Amino acid sequence: MTPNHHLDDATVLSYSAGALPAALAVVASVHLERCAACRTRLLDADQIGGVLLQQQRVDTPAEDARAAMLVLLDAEPAVEPPAPPADIVEEHDPDRLPSALHPWFGNSMRALRWRRVAPGVQRILASGIGGGDLMLLRIAPGSKLPLHSHGGNELTMILDGAYDDMLGHFGPGDVADLDGETNHQPVTSPGVPCICVAATDAPLVFSGWVARTLQPLFGF
Amino acid sequence: MMDSDQAVAEVAPFRAKRVVAPPVSNAAPDAQYWSIQMSAVSAQRDRASFMRIYDHFAPRLQRYLRNLGVPESMADELVQEALLTLWRKAAMFDPARASLATWLYRVARNLYIDHVRRQPHWLPIQEGLDRIDHVESARLDSQPESSFDQDILKQAIDRLPPVQAKLVRMCYLESKSHSEISAELQMPLGSVKSSLRRAFAKLQVSMRAPR
Repeated sequence: MTPNHHLDDATVLSYSAGALPAALAVVASVHLERCAACRTRLLDADQIGGVLLQQQRVDTPAEDARAAMLVLLDAEPAVEPPAPPADIVEEHDPDRLPSALHPWFGNSMRALRWRRVAPGVQRILASGIGGGDLMLLRIAPGSKLPLHSHGGNELTMILDGAYDDMLGHFGPGDVADLDGETNHQPVTSPGVPCICVAATDAPLVFSGWVARTLQPLFGF
Repeated sequence: MMDSDQAVAEVAPFRAKRVVAPPVSNAAPDAQYWSIQMSAVSAQRDRASFMRIYDHFAPRLQRYLRNLGVPESMADELVQEALLTLWRKAAMFDPARASLATWLYRVARNLYIDHVRRQPHWLPIQEGLDRIDHVESARLDSQPESSFDQDILKQAIDRLPPVQAKLVRMCYLESKSHSEISAELQMPLGSVKSSLRRAFAKLQVSMRAPR
């Protein structure tokens, strides 16, 4: 299925520049793995990087550096290793997590060990990512999350199930790329739990006193 | 006699090729020039072509990495690593998809994120994305040439309004996140992002411009 909600242009640019905080970069990678449209925009952003690289003002390389490079070439095997096979078919397995998540959460959806953080909300926090928080969230069907805005950037991609908010309907593959100015209240669809991967580069800020009392429970 | 005839026969086409070869000294070499060097590296393992690429790009990669704050000795190592990657994977280079500058930019950025930012999972993820693109372009064999005029993009970058130009440079050449840029310039996060969006939109228009 082709996603309907995509990465923000500013996020694509930052990803290309290697400037996206690590946690956000993981979620962006998960979306890029399944979105050809965003991969095309990423290539555009990389072309900008290519031109900026070309524009660097430089001197001619030193003779000893050239000589060192040639020595390295001598050490290389004469025959180029064959290119990897181009026809890897990824069979669709609903239990398999996207590969960009494997280092943080393993590869099986079923094997995940969820922790309850609020009524109807379960979570797994990735440890040791540095540069923001990365988490999986599992929200019971038909739940209404507290109204909240974001202190910084937040990137969420749906893996299973769906939710609706003022920005529209979000299903598997869709990404919500939000900044501090968005105040939203997702409502998960009935039927199956909504499972998503979310990253933030700053703690979420809940608005309203009810939400504020929920925040410590919610643990964001 | 036979020997000298053969020698002439071998030399002549080589000379003929040299006459049509793009000028190296006066004009800056263009994307087509680099694509010719790359096919010589991949098909003939041609060291002279490789060193032409090295002479042009190694100092640029070095400067790019030094600007990102990479210590000199590490930058030297990463430049060598980037060019060894080029030597090993020259056959993977597809000039219809991206210019050599873009290809090397990606390689160097990936090495930077792996070695300096220490995100050990970045490289395998990027290799995965490359493979997906490879499979896709093999499937769509009648893919339109995505080659664009680098000069037009370069001019478009030079024409960006000062604030947008500064943000694009902080992003690419200093590898600063939106939040870091926002804090450093005391500019709201939303404005940083909207300026970057506008800059990207303008540059994309230039990339799609008819040649």
